Amino acid sequence: MEKLADRSRLEGKGAGRRKALAPDAELLSREIEAAHSLSRRTFLAATFALAAPVLRYVPARAGAPSALSVSEVAPGVFVHQGLYEEQSPQNRGDIANASFIVGKDAVAVIDTSGSFKVGRELHAAIRGVTDRPIKYVINTHMHPDHVLGNAAFKADRPDYVGHHKLQRALAMRADSYLQSNKLMLGDEAFEGSEIVLPTVLVEDKLSLDLGGRSLVCEPQKTAHTDNDLIITDTATDTLFLGDLLFSVHIPTIDGSIKGWLSLLDELATRKAARVVPGHGPPAMEFPGALDAERKYLSTVASDVRKLIADNKTMSEAAKTAALSERADWKLFDTFHVRNVTTAFAELEWD
Amino acid sequence: MSRIFKVGGLVSDVGRRTAIAVALALGVAGMSLPAVAGDEDLWPSLRKEVFGERAIVEGDGLIVIDAPERAEDAAIVPITMRVPPSVKGALKSLTLIIDQNPAPVAAAFTFGPAAGDGGGERRMTTRVRIDTYSYVRAIVETSDGTLHMAKTFVKASGGCSAPAPKDIDGASSDLGKIVVKSFDPALETTPLREAQIMIRHPNINGLQMDPVTRAYTPARFVKTMTVNRGEDLVFRVETSISISSDPHYRFTYANTKNNELDVVAIDTDETEFKGETRHKGL
Repeated sequence: MEKLADRSRLEGKGAGRRKALAPDAELLSREIEAAHSLSRRTFLAATFALAAPVLRYVPARAGAPSALSVSEVAPGVFVHQGLYEEQSPQNRGDIANASFIVGKDAVAVIDTSGSFKVGRELHAAIRGVTDRPIKYVINTHMHPDHVLGNAAFKADRPDYVGHHKLQRALAMRADSYLQSNKLMLGDEAFEGSEIVLPTVLVEDKLSLDLGGRSLVCEPQKTAHTDNDLIITDTATDTLFLGDLLFSVHIPTIDGSIKGWLSLLDELATRKAARVVPGHGPPAMEFPGALDAERKYLSTVASDVRKLIADNKTMSEAAKTAALSERADWKLFDTFHVRNVTTAFAELEWD
Repeated sequence: MSRIFKVGGLVSDVGRRTAIAVALALGVAGMSLPAVAGDEDLWPSLRKEVFGERAIVEGDGLIVIDAPERAEDAAIVPITMRVPPSVKGALKSLTLIIDQNPAPVAAAFTFGPAAGDGGGERRMTTRVRIDTYSYVRAIVETSDGTLHMAKTFVKASGGCSAPAPKDIDGASSDLGKIVVKSFDPALETTPLREAQIMIRHPNINGLQMDPVTRAYTPARFVKTMTVNRGEDLVFRVETSISISSDPHYRFTYANTKNNELDVVAIDTDETEFKGETRHKGL
């Protein structure tokens, strides 16, 4: 999800909205608590057994930041699942998936969650698994819930890797992203968060060697944003789509609905053992995981096109387009009207 | 903080003042809460600046303003101003003001004979940027020279500092393209009909810093637009950076035998853009 500073909705933190989400949040936090009780030995045993496809690990070292719960979705590929919520002081920006991949020589992080503090807990989760150096921090795109944890990795002096347009996109929005996220998270949860710009810009295709496995990074044309990067772990054939793939959480359009739909057509012809979405379960079946999102986006596009052809206005479209999708997505009421507005402004020029 | 009260002013002056306004805002009040900023009542000074000492009647039903209570996308907030059928006679002008914006006067319309003089509800819809929680006002001047106002409160944040184009490189390819459509009314004899104008223009507001050069991208926006039916003026509008990128207008005008429209827009670089309704079925 993206909580754009430039259109942050301060109202969105209203009690009613929160309340509606509370049961899920509670359930998830209970899961996380349960994970905390896993001992290190349990974790190691699970790792060596290699049988358990999903495990959660949280070390309990006094004084050190606690570690995020992670699932090992494929050998050496760990994913932390973010909550289906907007940023709040309670969730501290932990609302997007964050992953890391462990090679023989080095570790790469893919997205760092939505605050310095959650980023630090991601760091602790990595250190619970391996002592190998963190050489790369990759951002799938510019949104604050994926990049604000970058600062937690500064001491590792990694290469920060992103789409060639990520630097400009982030720099342009830095002030407003920081300002709005500080408002949404509150001073305590926001503390330490900053915009860390990419140091390696991916122009074409870039392969990062972790020792025994490599990550292939591919920049995309404007879709979810104008700086989406796709990453493939070649060793396990795991595809990281960032926010090009939403599951459960309603997709949010901050680029081009036409671009996104045509990219999804293209992606559906690929092969991968599994896909890690930007928001959704830690790993999903590919390409079946794309179906729900394609249905949402194509319904928005076709409804909006119909309304434009009937000479309807943007305000009318906001009230009627793609409401059939409402039951299928969390946070629908929070983001759908904005998606329709964005789609309308793009499609009315066709 | 310096504010821009006049629309369509000198290019360089507007650009410079905007940049200064932003620099001040970032330096001094960069972290101020929009909700707090929205509490400050700027209207008394704003009103004096725009209308002098003239009396303004509020809420007498001569003008109605429709806006979403909360803007889902603060960079594209549709605003509709309506003059009910009970109001007879011509309208002289219509001013749209967003109190808390860096350029509060979003648009100042003056109407001509082709705008019609009643016989139904007269409407003007456009899309604006709203920077923070703010009152949005429409002030109409009727033919007797009196001023009437309607206002509404919109909760929005960041509409002016938003990077205008979502796809920054795809935006400039058809700069200045104007699409004009006139919609046939259900009844041929209806006194008013509706038309729509879309202008492809980023309306760069001068509030964005170029991350490489660290300089503010100079403001460049549509400052005036004139809409004519034949020799007759429908309306002319002076606009500011408070109008969204790709300026958009939907409005009523007098329905006659010849309803073709000619549109001329001029931006702050003094570049002229033209558009017209296409003849259908010929």
